[in-house]
Amino acid sequence: MKLSLKWLSSFIDLEGLGSDEIIRQMVKCGFEVESVEYMSQGTDLIVGKVIECKDHPDSDHLHLTKTDIGKEVLDIVCGAPNCREGLKVIVAQVGAKLPGGEIKAGVIRGQVSNGMLCSLKELGIDENLLPEDSPSHNGIEELDDRFEVGDTDILEKLGYDDTILDVSIYANRPDCLSMFAMAKEMGAILNREVRLPEFAGKADVGKKTDFRLDSRSANCPHFLAKVVNKVTIKESPEWLKQHLKANGVKCINNLVDISNYVMLETGQPLHFYDLRSIPAKEITVVDDYEGNYTALDGIEYKIEKGDLMITSEGKPIGIAGIMGGDNTKILDDTTGLIIEAALFDHAQIRRTSNRLGLQTEAAARFAKGLEPLAQNKAMDRAVQLLLELADAEDLEETVEYGKAQYEPYEIKESLAHLNALIGKEYTMDEAVSVMKRLSLDCRVEGDSFITSIPSYRANDLKIPEDIDEEIVRLTDFDDLRSTLPLIPQTVGKLSNIQHIRRVIRDFLRNRGFYDTVNYTLVNEKYINEAILPSGEAVEMISPLSDARRYIRTSLMNSLLEALSYNIDHNNVNINLYEISKVYTKVTEEERLGIIMEGSLIDEKVKHLNLKADFYVLKGLLEELFDSLGFEMGRITIKQNDLDTKHFHPYQSAVFMMDSQVLAIFGRLHPNYLKPLKLQDVIYGEVMLDVLDKANPAKVKAPVISRYPSVSRDISLMLKDDVKAGDMLALIRKVGRQLVKSAEVFDVYQGEHIEEGYKSVSLNIVYEDKEKTMTSEDVNAVHEKILNELLEKFEARQR
Amino acid sequence: MLDLETIKNEALNAISEADSTALEQLRIEYLSKKGKIQSLMAQMRELSAEEKPQFGQKVNVLKKAISEAMDAKKNELEESMMNARLASEKIDITLDAYRPKLGTLHPLTLVQQELEDVFIGMGYNVAEGPELESDIYNFTKANTPEGHPARDMQDTFYVDPSHLLRSQTTAIQMRVLEAEAGHLPIKVICPGKVYRRDDDDATHSHQFMQCEGLVIGEHITVADLKGTLELMIREMFSKDAKIRFRPSYFPFTEPSFEVDMTCHICGGKGCSTCKGTGWIEILGSGMVHPNVLEMAGIDSSKYTGFAFGVGLERVAMLKYGITDIRDLYTNDIRFLDGFKR
Repeated sequence: MKLSLKWLSSFIDLEGLGSDEIIRQMVKCGFEVESVEYMSQGTDLIVGKVIECKDHPDSDHLHLTKTDIGKEVLDIVCGAPNCREGLKVIVAQVGAKLPGGEIKAGVIRGQVSNGMLCSLKELGIDENLLPEDSPSHNGIEELDDRFEVGDTDILEKLGYDDTILDVSIYANRPDCLSMFAMAKEMGAILNREVRLPEFAGKADVGKKTDFRLDSRSANCPHFLAKVVNKVTIKESPEWLKQHLKANGVKCINNLVDISNYVMLETGQPLHFYDLRSIPAKEITVVDDYEGNYTALDGIEYKIEKGDLMITSEGKPIGIAGIMGGDNTKILDDTTGLIIEAALFDHAQIRRTSNRLGLQTEAAARFAKGLEPLAQNKAMDRAVQLLLELADAEDLEETVEYGKAQYEPYEIKESLAHLNALIGKEYTMDEAVSVMKRLSLDCRVEGDSFITSIPSYRANDLKIPEDIDEEIVRLTDFDDLRSTLPLIPQTVGKLSNIQHIRRVIRDFLRNRGFYDTVNYTLVNEKYINEAILPSGEAVEMISPLSDARRYIRTSLMNSLLEALSYNIDHNNVNINLYEISKVYTKVTEEERLGIIMEGSLIDEKVKHLNLKADFYVLKGLLEELFDSLGFEMGRITIKQNDLDTKHFHPYQSAVFMMDSQVLAIFGRLHPNYLKPLKLQDVIYGEVMLDVLDKANPAKVKAPVISRYPSVSRDISLMLKDDVKAGDMLALIRKVGRQLVKSAEVFDVYQGEHIEEGYKSVSLNIVYEDKEKTMTSEDVNAVHEKILNELLEKFEARQR
Repeated sequence: MLDLETIKNEALNAISEADSTALEQLRIEYLSKKGKIQSLMAQMRELSAEEKPQFGQKVNVLKKAISEAMDAKKNELEESMMNARLASEKIDITLDAYRPKLGTLHPLTLVQQELEDVFIGMGYNVAEGPELESDIYNFTKANTPEGHPARDMQDTFYVDPSHLLRSQTTAIQMRVLEAEAGHLPIKVICPGKVYRRDDDDATHSHQFMQCEGLVIGEHITVADLKGTLELMIREMFSKDAKIRFRPSYFPFTEPSFEVDMTCHICGGKGCSTCKGTGWIEILGSGMVHPNVLEMAGIDSSKYTGFAFGVGLERVAMLKYGITDIRDLYTNDIRFLDGFKR
């Protein structure tokens, strides 16, 4: 909402209030001022008269002037083509501050110049605000007889001394999109009296009419129309044009200008039809029109079912609430008109306006909601102005469809309720005086005050808390004390999944991984190439772009993107992870994605290097799960047969827990990495919901055996498809509780080993919790294990 | 007698000049079974019974003196050897060390965890909800029915006519209200990702994070809201920060306030961060609208509550001096490396 302070000052005495103070008060009362625009800017301006004007000897366009400013005569060099002797001009004296900078005494091509003769444009006035015949378009401004040499109130006299505030209006105050309501609001904010023009009942004139109105849509519940048979089209008076200009509205002629002006004043968009274009004397609002229609901007729009259209004789004559039609608009020779003041459903207007991409002042006001009596007020005001400014004659009585939806009502609030909600001690005087400032009728009954709500505040003031807000807003609030809620104590703690996330983050951070946050919305390729998606991807109805069309169903491609970005920026050893929700049409899941490229440890000083590979990630995941209370054993590993398109088929695996897939991980498939220009990437995706829903093992203190343990090694030659996991399982099965630990500590293939075979060295530690094992005891179990290994895996001892 | 004194002087002189090999030799020369002390003892046999004890005592004193001198010398020699060894092991302490490399937590995670910890400390729980939401929780229950002008304030990603990517974590609050209506009081914070149809630039992101807070109970006041937010701001930014309320509008609170904090850079004197005002806009808040309570089945004549919401990006950017919101979503490890603590 553009708020012209000059216009405002015609309703409120702003004496003694600078724009800074006004803005400060507005902000305090809940109005944010987005920008301040000075219609013109310039200090040290004075009226001068060019008493001599000669051509500059060294220039084909500069003039040398002697300009009389009363107190002295200045030498000023001027480049304007219209500069001539006898002209009254605006002189910016040395030291003047203009939008383009400060004026300094100087020498221009060898000639002294002590000031500047100004165009209005040089004073910051927008070209669009200048009258069409203004000399300032192409030269310096030429002042008329109102100005005397030595005058300094130039901008005021020209009417360009306005300051325009761009005020953002919250959705609960659409009334403030009307100048009259805004003026009332400003009166309340500044605590000053407001005088608005009287126009109630001005439309109650006119002869009998046979004009007919109808609405065939529930989205147009109220419509006023009035025929004015005779008007005179001409230029609007200067004051009206100035107010429109200050609001950035283009001036056309008195008729169009009045319709725009009344909208600015009352908030109600009006439309004037040329009387000749509706010969049937009938208007019907419909919402079932389909087809193309050319609006008064000359552009053809595609109208669909649901859009509100104004029709006559079944033919469209305007897009309701958004823009009038090309076939019915006011023309230069218009001599009679029909006034439309209607209420259209805000949601429907917003839908149509958004779909057509047609954002007009009218549509914005309808979309934000009008006050219930706006149609009647605007009709009264329009008639008043047409009579005054357009010599309106031969009016017909107002035709009405429906009725304004407003029943006067009151809100009762008690001081006790007010003070209990806010935590302050307002007095009745304070409460009532705020209502008075808002020009709301208010009476006191015991501990309560009862406020009558006028139509223009009906959108916003509905319940006692709304009244409380007005009091908070318009009184000093900085002295509110700080307390804490006095309610029963509660225990705050992280939920299970929140705890799991923190464990994971600490674990990975301490091992060199970076926590990342990636975008949820991804392109189609990321969906097609997802890891174990749980269903079909969810698509946006109107995405920002194809790159952000779908909700991702897996994390891998986002992490690959982050990885590629880092590689492209010459970063090395990139180990990233992300914890995020992923969605399909039927599921919500939380996943952990881990990506590794290069080395996890790359320590030059100690020559430590741990290159990321299948086993590094496998071990990290095992230890991570262990730290969450899920040991291997409960978690089993199996060959990856779920996704061999993105994973290397022989260097990837799946962790299962409680017969669910817990994680898939391993080396990514070279074919998938190739087009991404990536070489060797290790990736894992973990289903965190599986961890969240499972019960972790209880923490139990380990029993440390008081008896010594005995360590034995075995070296075997086996076929190379024998799995270490199967051997270790067998060892545990045979040795039972006597096997304290068993591990493979060396695997060798190559020289001296037959093709298709491998040499495997195992270490087994034996321990009996009841007694010291003798070497006979150890031999007995060790022999048994060895024999089983030899037999079961067709192995040879080395 | 003179004999003993001479032996002593000779021995002590020799000890004082000995190296470790010579010291071992001297030990044999004087203290072994065939050493000089032992041979003195042998002389005792030639003495009278009266002289024997006296002489014996003197020899013992002599033996002790030599033995002690030897031990002292030995210690001295060992110490100097150790010193020499240590000196030979001198290293350059300024050389690069083995430094186990830590990763980092994302700045948004850091801010979220810090907020969680502040509020858990005050007895709040941390609630979450789906990012793919029904418009009922995102809007309707937040006092923003269909066609409400406030739906205009946030251009939302719809996936079908009634489902969307949530545009505000208020949706979580509405779920908590519904679930906990029978278990008052409620004290929760609701962190999470939200989405709006904004083009990404230095200050806008179509995806960002919010953390909202909600307290419902008896006799909750705006003053309680102020006290709570003041504590939060002081924990997150600066111990002596102050806040002020500016009237504002949100559909689900009444009255509503924007909250400014004193600038954490200049302390309120005015600087470029706060554009010279001394204040920084940090969050939105208000008293839960009675309609919202009633829709959740909570008696609004008995219970009141406050709600607030803060943007995690905004907090992170202010706290860490981040100037481009896109840096938070690029995941460049050179950037992430700056958040080790």
